[in-house]
Amino acid sequence: MIKLESITKSFLLGKESVHVLNGISLDIEAGEFVAIMGPSGSGKSTLMNIIGCLDKPTEGEYYLGGENVSHYHDKELARVRNQSIGFVFQQFHLLPRLTALKNVELPMIYAGISKKERQARAEAALLKVGLGDRMDHLPNALSGGQKQRVAIARSIVNKPKLILADEPTGALDSKTSTDIMEQFRELNSEGVTVIVVTHESEVAEYANRTIMVRDGLLQPPAVMERGRLR
Amino acid sequence: MSFIENLGMALSSLKAHKMRSILTMLGIIIGVGAVIIVVAIGQGGEAMLKSQITGPGNTIEMFYQPSDEEIRSNPNVFQQSPFKQEDIRVLEQLPEIKRVVASSTKLSTARLQTESADVSTTGINQAYLQLNELKVEKGRGFSSADFLGGRRAGIISNKLQEKLFKEENPVGKIIMVSNQPIEIIGVLEKPTGLLAFGSMEVYLPFQTWRNIFGSSDFTQVTLQAASAEQLQVAGKKAAKLLNNLHNTEKSYQVINMEEIAQGVGQVTKIMTLIIGSIAGISLFVGGIGVMNIMLVSVTERTREIGIRMALGATRGQVLTQFLIESMTLTLIGGILGIFLGWGTSTIVSYFAGWPSLVSWQVVVGGVLFSMIIGVLFGLLPANKAAKLDPIDSLRYE
Repeated sequence: MIKLESITKSFLLGKESVHVLNGISLDIEAGEFVAIMGPSGSGKSTLMNIIGCLDKPTEGEYYLGGENVSHYHDKELARVRNQSIGFVFQQFHLLPRLTALKNVELPMIYAGISKKERQARAEAALLKVGLGDRMDHLPNALSGGQKQRVAIARSIVNKPKLILADEPTGALDSKTSTDIMEQFRELNSEGVTVIVVTHESEVAEYANRTIMVRDGLLQPPAVMERGRLR
Repeated sequence: MSFIENLGMALSSLKAHKMRSILTMLGIIIGVGAVIIVVAIGQGGEAMLKSQITGPGNTIEMFYQPSDEEIRSNPNVFQQSPFKQEDIRVLEQLPEIKRVVASSTKLSTARLQTESADVSTTGINQAYLQLNELKVEKGRGFSSADFLGGRRAGIISNKLQEKLFKEENPVGKIIMVSNQPIEIIGVLEKPTGLLAFGSMEVYLPFQTWRNIFGSSDFTQVTLQAASAEQLQVAGKKAAKLLNNLHNTEKSYQVINMEEIAQGVGQVTKIMTLIIGSIAGISLFVGGIGVMNIMLVSVTERTREIGIRMALGATRGQVLTQFLIESMTLTLIGGILGIFLGWGTSTIVSYFAGWPSLVSWQVVVGGVLFSMIIGVLFGLLPANKAAKLDPIDSLRYE
């Protein structure tokens, strides 16, 4: 499903180049539930951006579902994000002026799906996350947990093989966090690959594998303190 | 993503900032409106001037331009009226000519008891009424009997009535024109229009006029042809005929209307172009306003752009979204501007007595041009939006 081969990423900061990822190789099988953990500045966000096709590696190869996407142009990456990846963010990232339903429809607009089908699929997705009665609410009228459910509905609506969640519970209380993580577990049980970036070990416990990133490198499993090993 | 969907998106985001959208549109509304007003009034004026020069109903004016020789042999030639009654009769015989409208004007004095005024006194033949409608406000117009019998009946202008009679009804009263009594049978309507100041005038049947001034010559002759095509031919024939009769070479002439009309058309076109360009500058300024507000909008919506990109929007789709948004803004502004321009020029022409002409070309041009402005001035902001980096944009606060 996901195959990273000695991925490096460096940025130019002024005249100096800063190496954020120093050669990461990683395999994630279809249907896995993986947590990526690491202290801030470890490079886990950059890693997630590369896996999510929001960013391109400086060096190395990235295969997503058999496609080598490491040399794709912006336009092809946009298609991959649209078709193969569902994003869930810490800050929900819903468009404030659109209703829950319209927010969920967004990825399908860019997929070129007809209005009628869009609406039907968005409704189904919202029903699935338990927001059947909140479809016409604006994000402002929703609680944090409800917003994140809308975001989850949005992430699954194009039927991606991979869901990428960046600190999905970071802005939620613990009870709501549990609800949200249960959603992910349920999606994973349906066969969707889920990758969660987090610094909370409670969240990482939902995963069946935890990957530790430190100083732009993967830590060997033995060093990991918590997280279930496969 | 379809155009309709983009349009819907654009409308909803313009609606989200109503005040800002309306103010930005105002620049375009005023710009397009100003251009429409200038062009409408310019084209209307051109049409009016042309019709005034060529005259209503296929008419052409004759004039007398004596040669140097004639002036030398007869220094008083300018004091004499060039058209004899005989000339008129001959001209009427020409098959191409439907009517010969002849009149003679002399300055004289009109007097009512102690009140007096300098008036231009015009003797007209009956054909004159067919062409120039004397709109009578009080009393009546001339009848055939007035012309045949040479009745001492006259129609005076509104201004003269004010001068001599003040508020009193002058119909049926007698005034002295050149010391001859004339019964007033009617008063002309007050002239309307921006440039109509009104003048002191008396109109008399030609017979009457001849009896008063002792001259049977006409100062002005206008020919009316049977059709527009025959106008120039009739004019040339008439000029040739009179030159033969008077033994002159080419002293009798007709004005070549087409040339003059074209000349006037040129002048008004240039005027319209100049003023229109100035109005166009305001449209340009309006366009800059659109660009400015779109730039603000792109900055404000950085996060939205990031979200859309994360969800699979390509740079092209983001570009299109913002281009269509700015185009929608200017298109609505342009359409409202057309209504503003149309309304204003209608009001202006109503009060100025100057016709306005909003042609469909101007309307279509206005719509297209405002769309082009939207695209042109939307290009920079839309490009800025499309160039944003999705990761930075998602983090943007």
